[in-house]
Parts: sequence; C-alpha cells; structure tokens
Amino acid sequence: MITLTDFLVVSAVLFCIGLYMIVSKRNAIQILIGIELILNAAILNLVAFGKYDKVNNSGQIFALFAIVLAAATTAVALAIILNVYRRYKTIDPNDINKLRD
Amino acid sequence: MEDFLHSIQILNYTVAAVALPLLAALINFCLPAKSKAAGWISTGAILLSCILSAKVFAGVWNNHEVHAQHLWFTIGKTEVFAGVLLNNLSVLMLLLVSVIALPVHIYSTAYMKNDDRYNRYFTYLSFFCFSMLALVVVDSLVLFYAFWELVGFSSYLLIGFWFTRDKAVQANKKAFIMNRVGDIGLLTAIIILFAQYHTFDIVQLFAEKGLIAQSIINNGLWVGPTGQIPALWQYVACGGIFLAVAAKSAQFPLHTWLPDAMEGPTSVSALIHAATMVAAGVFLLGRVYPMFTETELTVLAVIGCFTAFMAATIALTQNDLKRILAYSTISQLGFMILAMGVGAYASSLFHLATHAFFKCLLFLVAGIVIHQMQHIKDDNELDIDPQDISHMGGLRKKLPLTFIVAIIGALALVGLPLTSGYLSKDGILIQAFDWSENRSGWFKIIPIMALLTSWLTTFYVARLIFKVFFGEFRLLKSNPDIKLHINDGSWQYKLPLVLLAVCCLFPLFSLNPFSFEHAWLFKGLKSANFVESESIYHTFIPIVVNVLSLFVLYAVYAIYARPNSFAFPQSGFLYRLSYNQWYIDDIYKRFIVKPVLRLGSVCFWIDRRVIDGFVHLLAHVSGYIAKLSAWADQHIVDGFLHLLTRIVQRIGNFARKFQSGKVQYYLFSMLVIVLLLFVLKILI
Amino acid sequence: MNILTLLIFIPVLFGLIIALLPSSVRSSFKYITLLATLIQLGISIWIYIHFKTGTAYGGINHEDQFQFVQKLPWIALNLGSMGKMQIDYFVGIDGMSITLLVMTSLVLVIATLSSWEIKSNLKGFFLLFLLLDMAVIGVFCALDFFLFYLFYELMLLPLYFLIGMWGGARREYAAIKFFLYTLFGSVFMLLVMVGLYLSVTDPATGNHTFNIIQMMNPANYSGQSIFSIAGHQTILGMPARTVGFVVLFIAFAIKVPVVPLHTWLPDAHVEAPTPVSIILAGILLKIGGYGIIRICLGIFPEVATTGAFWLGLLGVISILYGAFNALSQRDLKRMIAYSSVSHMGFVLLGIASQTAEGVSGAVMQMVSHGFLSTMLFFLVGVLYNRVHDRGIQHFRGLGSLMPKYTAFVMIAFFASLGLPGFSAFVAEAFTLAGAFKSPTVNGLLPYWMAVCGAVGILLGAAYFLWTLQRMFFGTESLKGGAVWKIALTDLNLREKLTLAPLALIALALGIMPSLVFDKINDSVLALIQFLQLK
Repeated sequence: MITLTDFLVVSAVLFCIGLYMIVSKRNAIQILIGIELILNAAILNLVAFGKYDKVNNSGQIFALFAIVLAAATTAVALAIILNVYRRYKTIDPNDINKLRD
Repeated sequence: MEDFLHSIQILNYTVAAVALPLLAALINFCLPAKSKAAGWISTGAILLSCILSAKVFAGVWNNHEVHAQHLWFTIGKTEVFAGVLLNNLSVLMLLLVSVIALPVHIYSTAYMKNDDRYNRYFTYLSFFCFSMLALVVVDSLVLFYAFWELVGFSSYLLIGFWFTRDKAVQANKKAFIMNRVGDIGLLTAIIILFAQYHTFDIVQLFAEKGLIAQSIINNGLWVGPTGQIPALWQYVACGGIFLAVAAKSAQFPLHTWLPDAMEGPTSVSALIHAATMVAAGVFLLGRVYPMFTETELTVLAVIGCFTAFMAATIALTQNDLKRILAYSTISQLGFMILAMGVGAYASSLFHLATHAFFKCLLFLVAGIVIHQMQHIKDDNELDIDPQDISHMGGLRKKLPLTFIVAIIGALALVGLPLTSGYLSKDGILIQAFDWSENRSGWFKIIPIMALLTSWLTTFYVARLIFKVFFGEFRLLKSNPDIKLHINDGSWQYKLPLVLLAVCCLFPLFSLNPFSFEHAWLFKGLKSANFVESESIYHTFIPIVVNVLSLFVLYAVYAIYARPNSFAFPQSGFLYRLSYNQWYIDDIYKRFIVKPVLRLGSVCFWIDRRVIDGFVHLLAHVSGYIAKLSAWADQHIVDGFLHLLTRIVQRIGNFARKFQSGKVQYYLFSMLVIVLLLFVLKILI
Repeated sequence: MNILTLLIFIPVLFGLIIALLPSSVRSSFKYITLLATLIQLGISIWIYIHFKTGTAYGGINHEDQFQFVQKLPWIALNLGSMGKMQIDYFVGIDGMSITLLVMTSLVLVIATLSSWEIKSNLKGFFLLFLLLDMAVIGVFCALDFFLFYLFYELMLLPLYFLIGMWGGARREYAAIKFFLYTLFGSVFMLLVMVGLYLSVTDPATGNHTFNIIQMMNPANYSGQSIFSIAGHQTILGMPARTVGFVVLFIAFAIKVPVVPLHTWLPDAHVEAPTPVSIILAGILLKIGGYGIIRICLGIFPEVATTGAFWLGLLGVISILYGAFNALSQRDLKRMIAYSSVSHMGFVLLGIASQTAEGVSGAVMQMVSHGFLSTMLFFLVGVLYNRVHDRGIQHFRGLGSLMPKYTAFVMIAFFASLGLPGFSAFVAEAFTLAGAFKSPTVNGLLPYWMAVCGAVGILLGAAYFLWTLQRMFFGTESLKGGAVWKIALTDLNLREKLTLAPLALIALALGIMPSLVFDKINDSVLALIQFLQLK
C-alpha cells in the first residue's frame, strides 16, 4: 500500500534535488530545470494532500493551476535567459553579478 | 613798624640777590651759542647780587634775625614752607659767595673767551651762583636739600664742561655719585628729623630753644617734644649729616672726587671746588650744629684731623699744579671740620671765609700759569702736560703780578702773620689745644697732628711756589729753542687777582693782626658762652707754628729753588703711598665699584635665569602638559572612538561578503540560515 | 552728557571715523587720532580745573563725595529666587584719579605724536590705539567693579596686537609673555570679583552689587558670605579675605610691576614700538598702583594693614633689584625699563607706609614717572628711529653730534634720578619720609626700609650717569661709522615740541608740587582715615 508518507518522501527528494541544482549548477537552463523540479515537488504534495478533500478535489485543481502557471513562468524565464545570453554572451550565473552593491 | 619795613626791604634784596643769577642763566640759555654778551650778563648779575648782598649783610649782621616764609605746599596734614632765614651765618655766606663769585666771573670772561660754548659756560656758572646763594639763605631743610643737590648738579655740569674729554666726564660722574652718597645721608637725616619733629623748618629745629635743644637721649630713646624714636636714629641722622658734609666738603672717606674735579675749567675750580661749594659742608655743620652730641663732635674732630693730615701728605708729592691745590683744599676743609669738632664754631667759619679768598686766589693764579703753559705748548707744538709743575720754574720774571699775588695767597695759606690765614688758622690750633687740655692724653694727638699738618702745609705750598716761580724755566732746558711770549694777561685777569689778594690780608678781618679773637667776623659768630681763655697756648702756639714754618720754608727753598738741588728718593714706601694718594681710589675701585657692578650682573643673571627661567619653565611645563594631553586626546579618547568604528567596519565588511551579486549564493545563504533556524529551534 | 563718559568714549567715536574712512586717506589717520587725544586732553584739563577740593570731596568710601558721577543701570537680570543681578555703568572720580587722568591724557597725546614713526597698516594701528585709549581712561573712572574689570581686560587685547604686530624682532615672544602674565593675574581677579559680588548687597536695593564703594563698607557684607569680615570664612585653610587681597594684589602687582612678577616688562618694553612703550610705561604701570590703592586697600583695608610689612618689603626689593639690574644693562631701552621697576618700587613703599606723606608721595611718583618715563622712551625711540640700534656701547660722544638731543636726555635723566626741581625728587623724598614716619605713626614698616629706599636713589644716579658718560660724552665714536653719523640728525621740530612740554611739566611739578598735592590731599587724608578705622 502506497501511503501519504511515501508521496511526501518522493516530494522531499525531488525538492532537495531541485534545490541542489539551483544552488550548484553553472548553467541557467539547469537551474531552471531545478526550479521545475521544486515546483513539481510542490505539485506532488498538492496532489497527495488532495485525498483529504474528496468532494471538491481542490488539490488536483490547484495542481493543474500550478502546472499551467509553471509552464508560463518557464516561458518567461527562458525569455529572460535568452536576453541575458544576448547581453552577456553567457548563461553562467556566476558571471552575471550585476546585482552586487 | 619801621623794623618790619626794614625786614621787608632786606627780604626783597635777598630774593633779588638770589634770583638775579638765575635770571642771567635763563637769558644766557636763550642766547645764540657764541654770543659774547653772556659773560657780561652773568657778571652784571653777580655784581648786582654782590651789592644787594652787601646791603643785606649790613642790615642783618649783628642785628636782628630776619625770617620769613610762605606756604609752599601741603601734603597730608603737613605744611611745607619755603622761606628765607637771615642770620649772621647766612648773610656772611651770602656776601662771601657773591664777593668771591664776582672776580671769578670777571676772570672767566677772559679765561673762556676762546671756547666754543662760551655762553653755556656762563649759563652754568650763573646757575651755580643761584643755587649756592639760595642754599645759604633758605630756611627749610627740604629746600636746603634741593639747593644742596643743585650746587652738586651745577658742579657736575662744570666739571664735565669739556665733555669730549674722557677724563672730565669720568670725573664729573664720580663727583656727582660721591656727592649723591652724601645727599642720601642728608636726605636720611632730614627724614629722620621730620619723623621725629614733624617739621622741616630750620628755625624751629635748631634755634636756641628749638626742638633739638629740648630733646634728650634717654634710656636708648631719643625723646623730643613731639615724640620719641630709638636713639639709634639720632646717631644715624648725625651720621647722615656727616656723610653729606664729607661728600660736599671732600672729607675722608668721600674726598676722592675733588682732585678729579680739577678736570673742569680752572676758574670753576677756583669758585666751586675751592671757595664756595666745598665749604657748603662746613656751612651745613654750622646750620645743624645743635644736633651733635659731645661724642659725635669728637668723631667729627678725628675725621677732620685725619683728613687734613692725609691730604697734606698727599699734596707733598703731587706734580699736577691743580691737584696740589685740590689736596690743599681738602686739608684746609679738614681743619674747618676739626674746628667744628673741637667746638671752635666761630673759628671754623672764620677759616672758611679766609680760606675762600686765598684758595680762590691761588686757583686763579694756577689758571693763569696753566693758560700760559698751554700757550707755550700750542705755539711750539710740544707734547707736555701744561699743569705739570716739573716743567715750570722761574716764572716770576715773566708773570710779575701773578707772582706777587701768588706769594700773598701762599703766605695766607701757610698762615704767616699779617695775613688772614694767620688769624683763622692759629685760632683753630689754639682752640684745639684748649679742647684737648680737659681731656685724657690720647686726645692730645689731634692738636698735635693738626700742628704737624700745618708744617706739612708750609712744605707743599712752598714747594709749589718755588717750583713754579723760582729757579730756571725747566722746559727751556729740555727744549732750548722754544719761543716764550707770555705775560700776566689783560685787566680781566689782573683785577680779580688784585681784589682777592687784598682780601687775603689781615685788615679786612681784624685791626689787630695777631689775635683772632678781635676779628669782627669771629665776634659776630662766636656763641654767647664763649670764654676768652688766657691759656699759655695763645702765645705759645703762634710762635711755635710760625718759627718752625719759617724753617720749613727755608728748607724747601734750599731743596727746590737752588740749582743743583737735592732730590728726594722716589721709591720709598711713604713716597709711593703719598704719590698714589694713599691708594684710596684703587681700594674704592676694587672693593666698592667692582662689587656693585658685579652685584648688578648677578641681579641680571637672577632675572634672566631664575625668575625668567621659572617663567619659561612654567611655559615649558604647560607646553609639555599640552603635548601630553594632545597625545591622550589622540590616542586614548580618539582611539576608543576609532576602535568602535573599526569594529563596526569589520562587521560591515564581513556582511558585505554575502552580497556577492550571485543569485545562487543568496539562495545558499538563505538555505543555511533557514537550516540554522531549524537547528536552533530543535536545540532550544 | 556726562563729561567723564564723553572723555571715555571720544576715542571710540574717532575710531569709528577711522574705521569708515577708506585706506587711501591713511596719512590722515594720525591727525584724526591726534585730534581725539587733544580733545581728550582739553576735557581732562577742564575737569582738573573744575575739580573741587575740600573735605566734602574726599571720595574713597563715600559715594556722594565723588565728582562728575554718572550712574546708569546697565545689565539687570531677574534671576528669580537668586534675586536680581545688577550691574551699573558707574563712573566718577576723586582725588586719587584726577591727577592720573590728566597725566594719562597728556601721555596719550605724546604717544600719538610718537606714532609718526609707524609706517605699516595704519588703520589697524590707530584703531587699536584708540581702543586702548578708551580702556585706560575707563579704568581710572570706573567705580563699578564689573565695569572696571571690563576696561581692565579690554586694555590687553589692543596691547597684545600692538606689540605683536608692530614690535621689534622678538615681538611674538614679548607679546605672548605680556599677555599671559597679565591674564594670569586678572583671571583670578575675576573669581574674587564674583566672590565679592555674592558677598555684598546694596543696602538701597537689597540686590547683590558690583559697586566698589559699597564693597568698602563692612556692613554691606552678609553674615556668612565668603568675604564677610565677621564670617571668618576660609579658602584652602587660609582666611578668605587674605586670599582675596593677595589675589587682587598679584593681579595689580604684575601691572606695577613688582619684583618678582616683573619680567614681562623688559621684554615688552624693548620689543614694543615707541608709542606702545610710552603707553606701557607711562600709563599701564600706573593702573597697577591705582588698582592697589583703590581696590586692594579700599576693599580689604585690614588685610592691607596686617600685610603692610610685606608690601613695603616688596617695594624695597623692587627699588634695589631694579636699580641693580639697570646697572648691568647694555641696551638703553632695557636699562630704562628696569629703571621703571625701580621707580615704581617707591610707589609700593609709599602705599605700604599708609601715611599721608607716603601715599601722596606714591601718587606723585606715579604722575611724575608717567611723564618722565614717557620722555625717556620717546628719547630712546628717537635714537632707534635714526639708526635702529640701542646698544649703549655702540654710541659714544653723541653730545657733540646731537647737542639738543643730549640736552633733553640730560633733563630726562636728571629728572628721573631725582634732581631737586623736578617732580621725581618731591615724590621720592616724601615717599621715603612717609615710610620713615610709619613706625612712629602706625608701626607698620620698620625704619630700615626708608634707608634702603634711599640707597635706591643713589643707585639711580649711578646707572643714569654711567649711561650718560658712556653714550653722550667723550670723544665721538659710533659703531656704524660714517653712515650713522649722517643718519644721526638732531631733533626735529615735532620731536622738540613733544619733549618740551614733558620737561616743563616735570619741572613745574617739582617747583609747584601743590599742582598735584592740592587735588589729592583730601582723598589721601580720607584714605588714611579710612584705613585707620578699617
């Protein structure tokens, strides 16, 4: 029997992998993939917790919303990365430090 | 009423007699520098003074005293009066000064005629006459002091008249400073009298029943009608007056200025440093005579006697014509002081009067001789001292009139009969013996020394006369080809000489040439209780003195006037002592002048090093304290602040490192912090 | 308009005119200043003539006996529970001030005349000069301690700049030394002044007051106040009134100056330009003496009496010490500066004697020294202007080169050494007479002090005559040779016109001392009486 705990463990593993990718990868695309992984971990949580609301299935509905929004943000993020690449000729976040004081 | 009017008239005459020379001095002061009128203005003024003085003298002598005063100023509750006191003493001096000054003025018109500062000379001379005449008539001790110092001042001006000569200016400085010592004494005495009696009035103080006469010294206190102070101050006052007398009348130990004062013009020496000013000390003694107690008078006698003797021994060996006469003056003044000391008040003043005439005469003679020697020196361009008697000799043929009057003056100085000097000097000697008669043996030394001195006097006077006027002209021996055209000079030289020479003879003073007691001057001055003693001395002394004097005269003639004469050895101790004037000047230089100057330097050193040093030390110490506090400010107070800011800065820098601009880094930090929070949450 | 107020503030008026004029007319500044001082002199002579004498005008401790008084409320602050703070503008004169006032006015005229030598920064010089002028006149007139202090301090500022900017080679040193010395005295004076203020109440208004005359009345001191006579308060274990007296005395003794507080004087005198030397010696020193009489003796009479011995001793030391120092100087100006120390010692000795003769003599000495030191410093200035040298050994035989100059030098020297006929003689003789009378009259001074003072007169003759002999007599020989000989011209008309009045006044005061004594006598007697009553 697959319990809620199993889902949450998978989600946590996904979150951790995503977090790791965000912090350590040298490529903006990979970071974006990491973000997607974290997002998916969250969506997985929503779906898993959706079992407690069987009437309205609000968990599933939020998950759908989140997937749609994730797709949208990914598109925006890719556009930004594209622009960044045009400007700096790189997408390595280490080299883009204009946010510094 | 008539008496009163008479007094007023006499007072007016007196004031005019005193003021005329001052007026002359003021006029001369304003005249252009080389104006020859100056001489006649001064002479005219002194002539008028002389006539007025004679009138005053006739009115007051042996008549009633005239005393008038006017309020001068008030200080606190003390009223200081200025006034005129005419009694026998002052009118005698008034007449004497003006009579002596007149021939000297006439003489000066010729003597100074080639000088560039002719009118300045007469300005000074008139100013001196004014001060001297005023000195003898004033009635207040303050005024007396004032004119006392003014005569010293005019003497200063005249000694240094040729101020480009170094010797002259050193002499006038010396004269003024030594006189200042005396002035300080007089001032102290006046102040003591003022503190004791609250008045400066000579009449109130020294009159027959005056304040002094009513005072006694009792139990170490000097008790007067107006109060009492310790008796010590009576002695100090008398000592002060003695200092004043010693300075002005050139007594030991303050006599050394007088020989140096001979640097002034000779006419000045004749008037000031022989006849009048130097006699002021004796006059002062006469004024304050009641102050002195028996012991103090004895001290006076000892000093006078010693001075007379010492000066006579010095005069023996000097070669400077004027210096010999100067020492002779000191010696004769010593006689006067001695006379005062032995109570021969009248004789002392009598001698003052006669001495004034013959010493003035001798100086004028010296002036002529020096003047002629100067002529010879200038004409022949010789390098000699015109005052040195060893160059002179045989001048009696060249200067006949001068020679005759010089002999008269010299005889009067020696005190041979028929001269005025005989009358006054033998009077002193006789009374000195009378005085010692009542005293123990040691006091006999005083009259005996006086007797000895009078023979020494004979010796040096004779030496002077014989060396100058007898024998051959010594300068001619060493310089055979010099031209000599010298003579007695114009009437301005001759008239004063004759006038004074006449005054040196006995008839002016006494009809009896052999007894001083019959001189009118003596009678007018002697105190009421003077007893004519008939001791053996009255006949004995004159004979001894004069007979021995004659022997001395002959001896001197034999030594100096004859050719191939005997010469004294010039190496003995006594000779050197005499020639170097008893080394007194050297002693003063070494033991007084130098230490005083040294003390001055020491004071200045203290000022620079100690007092200023302390001030500088303070300045430096505060400077160091300032530096210290500046250091503390920089390193401690500021240092703490700097520490604080540095800490903040470090923290800031530390925090800054997180702001790398790398998004991943930020995220990582957030992660760490969140994890830390969790850990903390769990731990706490 | 009160005549004293006019006298005090005329210089300020003229100072304003100078300040407003452009620098292009700078050559007229000296004439404007001269005009100001001449008007002042005229006014002070008018005051002198109209000054009434008599026992009803004694002054000292009676407010109604002062003359030409003006009293205006000036600063009045209501301090609530502490009462009212009241400072008056209060000026007036009595016998002690009148002669000094006239002397000051004349000396200022002379100082202006000697300012002709000043060539640089004329505007600044004359502005400061006039400010100084106002302050010194003010000091002699002020009867309110606060006002007195104000004028007293106001003198320092212009003097500092006058010495520091127009002085000789070591002027900064001299100016700072002078300033610090004087300030040292006056700062503590301020404390005593405040202490007195807090101790004294004006009986008329019940307020604390700075009125000097009220401070003289023991009844005006409140019971336990610091300077109360009955209170016997102590400061650091010493009686408070003694401390107060000593502090005030030190302040004035620095000005006089009294040995050992005198070392600012030679430096300041030597470095200062001639007009400032004249003001320093002629006026500033007198302010010290005046302050001792008016303030020290007036406010602390019983301390002055017990301490008279020490005052007299300091006076005698000053006389002798100053004279010995003068004897060893090689700089003419410095020699004269030290002679000032010696002469001012007589003032202290006279004051200490507390006799009518002594105090009158002291005031006379101040007046006399005012004129004579002015003359002496002016004469030194004449020589210095010509060759810029003052070394005594560098000159010889000036008598034949500059006969008129030498004549004036001789007059000044002989007058200073106390030749009868000049003012200094009367002053010194009566100071000494007072000092000698003191033991019998009030027992304050021992007899020997007067005798020592007399020795000072002797030394005076020594240093003056020695200088005369070395510099003016003898054969001519100058350090600067032919150049100096051309430069050393005799006195010009302006110099003669400056010197002649001084010589004549010194002579007039010597022959007619009543010119001074008549005016001061009532005040002196009032002071003596006041001191005896305590």
